[in-house]
Amino acid sequence: MNNRTRLRPAGGGETPEVDASPRLGRPLRRARSGQWAAWAFLAPVVAYLALFYAYPLYRNLDLSLRDYTVASFVRGGAPFVGLGNYRTVLADPTFGPALLHTVVFTAASLAFQFTIGLALAVFFHQHFRLAVALRALFLVPWLLPLIVSASTWSWLLNSDSGLVNYALHLVGVGPVDWLTSPHWSLVSVILANVWIGIPFNLALLYSGLQSIPDTLYEAAALDGAGAWARFRRITLPLLRPVSAVTLLLGLIYTLKVFDIIWIMTRGGPVDSSTTFATWSYRLGFGNLLPAFGSGAAVGNLLVLMALLFGLVYIHTQRTAPAA
Amino acid sequence: MFSVIRARRHAAAGFAALLVIAVAACGSTGASGSSATASGPYTVWDPYPQFDNGSAWVRLLTKCGSDAGVQVKRTAFDTTDLTSKVLLAAQQGVAPDVLIVDNPVISTLAQAGVLTDTATAKVDTTAIEPNLLAAGQLNGKTYGVPIGANTLALYYNKNILQAAGVDPAGVRDWSSLTAALAKVKAAGKRGITFSAIGTEEGSFQFLPWFWGAGANLTNLSSPQAVSALSLWTTWLADGYAPNSVINDTQTTSWQEFATGQVGFAENGTWQLSNAKQTGFPYGVIPIPADNGGATAPAPTGGEFVTVPVASDSGRYRTSAKLVACLTSAGNAYTTDTTLSYIGATATLQQKQAANGDLSSWVAAVRSAKGRTSDNLGTKYPKISQQLWTAVQAALSGSASPQAALRTAQDAAAAATR
Amino acid sequence: MNTRARRPAWWKTVIGLLLTAVMLFPVYWMLNESVTRDTDMRKTPPSWFPSHGTLDGYRAVIDQQLPYLGTSLVVGLGTVVLTLAVAAPAGYSLAKLHPRGGRALSFILLVAQMIPAIIMAMGFYAILLTTHLINTLPGLVVADSTIAVPFGVLVFTAFMRGVPAELMQAARTDGAGSLRTFVSIVLPLSRNAIVTVSLFTFLWAWSDFVFASTLDAGGTRQPITLGIYHYIGNNNQQWNAILATAVVASIPATVLLVLAQRYVSAGITSGAIKD
Repeated sequence: MNNRTRLRPAGGGETPEVDASPRLGRPLRRARSGQWAAWAFLAPVVAYLALFYAYPLYRNLDLSLRDYTVASFVRGGAPFVGLGNYRTVLADPTFGPALLHTVVFTAASLAFQFTIGLALAVFFHQHFRLAVALRALFLVPWLLPLIVSASTWSWLLNSDSGLVNYALHLVGVGPVDWLTSPHWSLVSVILANVWIGIPFNLALLYSGLQSIPDTLYEAAALDGAGAWARFRRITLPLLRPVSAVTLLLGLIYTLKVFDIIWIMTRGGPVDSSTTFATWSYRLGFGNLLPAFGSGAAVGNLLVLMALLFGLVYIHTQRTAPAA
Repeated sequence: MFSVIRARRHAAAGFAALLVIAVAACGSTGASGSSATASGPYTVWDPYPQFDNGSAWVRLLTKCGSDAGVQVKRTAFDTTDLTSKVLLAAQQGVAPDVLIVDNPVISTLAQAGVLTDTATAKVDTTAIEPNLLAAGQLNGKTYGVPIGANTLALYYNKNILQAAGVDPAGVRDWSSLTAALAKVKAAGKRGITFSAIGTEEGSFQFLPWFWGAGANLTNLSSPQAVSALSLWTTWLADGYAPNSVINDTQTTSWQEFATGQVGFAENGTWQLSNAKQTGFPYGVIPIPADNGGATAPAPTGGEFVTVPVASDSGRYRTSAKLVACLTSAGNAYTTDTTLSYIGATATLQQKQAANGDLSSWVAAVRSAKGRTSDNLGTKYPKISQQLWTAVQAALSGSASPQAALRTAQDAAAAATR
Repeated sequence: MNTRARRPAWWKTVIGLLLTAVMLFPVYWMLNESVTRDTDMRKTPPSWFPSHGTLDGYRAVIDQQLPYLGTSLVVGLGTVVLTLAVAAPAGYSLAKLHPRGGRALSFILLVAQMIPAIIMAMGFYAILLTTHLINTLPGLVVADSTIAVPFGVLVFTAFMRGVPAELMQAARTDGAGSLRTFVSIVLPLSRNAIVTVSLFTFLWAWSDFVFASTLDAGGTRQPITLGIYHYIGNNNQQWNAILATAVVASIPATVLLVLAQRYVSAGITSGAIKD
């Protein structure tokens, strides 16, 4: 990036000569008042976190560290069992498959959502007729309640009356048991999840693309760089902060996905599409006899997984050059 | 100097923001839920969100309330959600005064200490049929009154059966049923549809066959159980039942039948009004047992009217009045007709047997069984989960019926120890 | 001067239309099913267009669901206002003011997002009960904003980092304090981020079900996600009414979407960061 570019602030006005050397004589007081100011702006969010997240987080931890029956859930007095719930969960035969499916589901969803979202963002970034309208239409899947989107996909993928099998039949391929076969159930939910996740990636990445000045592309084009080179050398590096945010948020949201899977396959025939999120729900709310302790334990394992990636993200932010 | 003033201004802005949030969070802006005094509005929770405020059900609730001299505030929940909502509310001390809830969860709620038994709340259950009351009993105490009951039977498409040369009266045991399905398939239609989804609905639909084979929920891997599951797997393998049954709810299974392309459908009393709108003539036969003769005992569905534990026991008197009003002969008859349920008392059942479309179901309900009966109580949910998992495993081809049920029995035994 | 605009781009429009058609096909299918009779829903083979359509679902929606739509709108807008008010200053601080411990706060915000919605709902149930905000719209707004605030802070931080340091320096040289810089310089440049965060916040609040069903189940005014449950009875579901509700519910949200997108492009071309 050419950091000698002079930039005009919004609203016009004179462009003052920028002297980047710090004022001498007031560094200490500036630093202290700077911290005051910084934390003053952060005050709303800190209060917000303390008021609204601390208690649910505490409840979640508490649920996972005690042996809760329905009776003790209602009346209190559940005994503290330390990591007992976690041990039960780890020993459960569903643990291995659920872990595998969670990883596969998340990785596949993210890979497809991000690449398709990026490709679409780049495509719609160009100026052609209807670009704006079409791009807006791409967000429509997000407006639909998940129960509707998931049910629509269920019908499309129905073994007998679904359109996808009918279309396959038209081209001579035999019907696939998308939702009822242990081999295909995970693929089906990944497909639906990718579809639902594309608008998110598209919107974020498109906004990121907008912040890259056109002048850079023109300069590169004048230098003789082709479209792919421009993409690799300008778009991708400049998009890195937004990409990182998109991927990280995408990861967190995908780890939490359960509505889609639950409505489409309930965790698949014989746990074949069970992820930690659906397993946690099934333990705590999806059966007639809730097991809140185990459900919370699985939920916390999910949080741990996300935390690990969060640490990676923070680390990359620390080593990335400041804007 | 200026920077310090500025810093103070920033701090003030920050605190102002905090204050705004605090006020917003603590400000009381609207009416909250029920108060705890004995004269406040009485809250009723039910799992009928399809009944909105203008419906007969809500009018009934209001009338029962005014008869008892109190105002009734009703909230409807999705039935699958209701258990966790009640547990959460009970934990916070805001459980409703009257709770209408699906019968298999009564044991769970009773064990959680959320419900009062009928003796404490002084609710009369003498007129209720014992086989229907059993679902709400745990350790010798009764925890509610059934508002009615529904159960499963086999609907059939008269046109398809006629064209295939099947006489519905001849379907009396499993072999004749399978033969009928073969004939229907030969005539170019689907044989039968049911729901084998991996939730309680799946277990509910499997139980008539399970019990009809003579199996018992305490032993999921008995030879009788294996034969019941093998029946379903052979139907799927032979193409008599569509593959989608593995994922069908009872509603979607009914939709398949309603297309007019399926001969038989296993479904419940609540589909009666839909049955009339399908556009083809339909009939109903009881689900046959394995060896013919006796009809297979089908599980009872339907909700119980219960009185949750209240902090102020003075409220029980009025709550009991509400319960009595809702389950009184006249009111129960109207409600059961709306919901397409069978009445819970002998008198009501006789009335329904004498007239109307529900007559063929009364016998089925008389021989029906509660799922949590035989004092299975809170063991039932754990067993049921293993049962539907085994059904799914066998139907999807992941395991043979024997292996699937063996795994299920081991897991159920471990879970209910 | 943009020479690219001169070349005819109609083939790009065609590709764009094709891509949109593929993406929106399930939405078309939803529309198709919303006018299908119950008895035709499982027909094999499925029909691309309903031969015997029914508008019963839509009739039910128009009769019953409009108040729910209004409530959803109010909740959505309220959530947007609250989220922006909390997230924008925080993003500014984390991006430009370098608070000590800022990284820890970012991390905590990440953790905050990972808490499953149902756990948040259970926690909020207790909080709103104590503050008497249960079954009220302000309570629901506060709860819904927890879906969006951490996201908002992250997005604002990422976008505001892109505001050039020279501008900040220039403002400081002019004598502007942090607040003045925030309001006059950073916020206008972050129009993109504001619209993006608002959009997502609105959509999340609009389609939220878990919080609505736990925290507003007994309320007199309920959002559309709960209104749909009128058609999900304890034994039966009226799918064409459910789908019709979804379709009708999408209309105001789509309108807002298109308007928002127009505003974003207008904001960019009015010369925010241009030479």
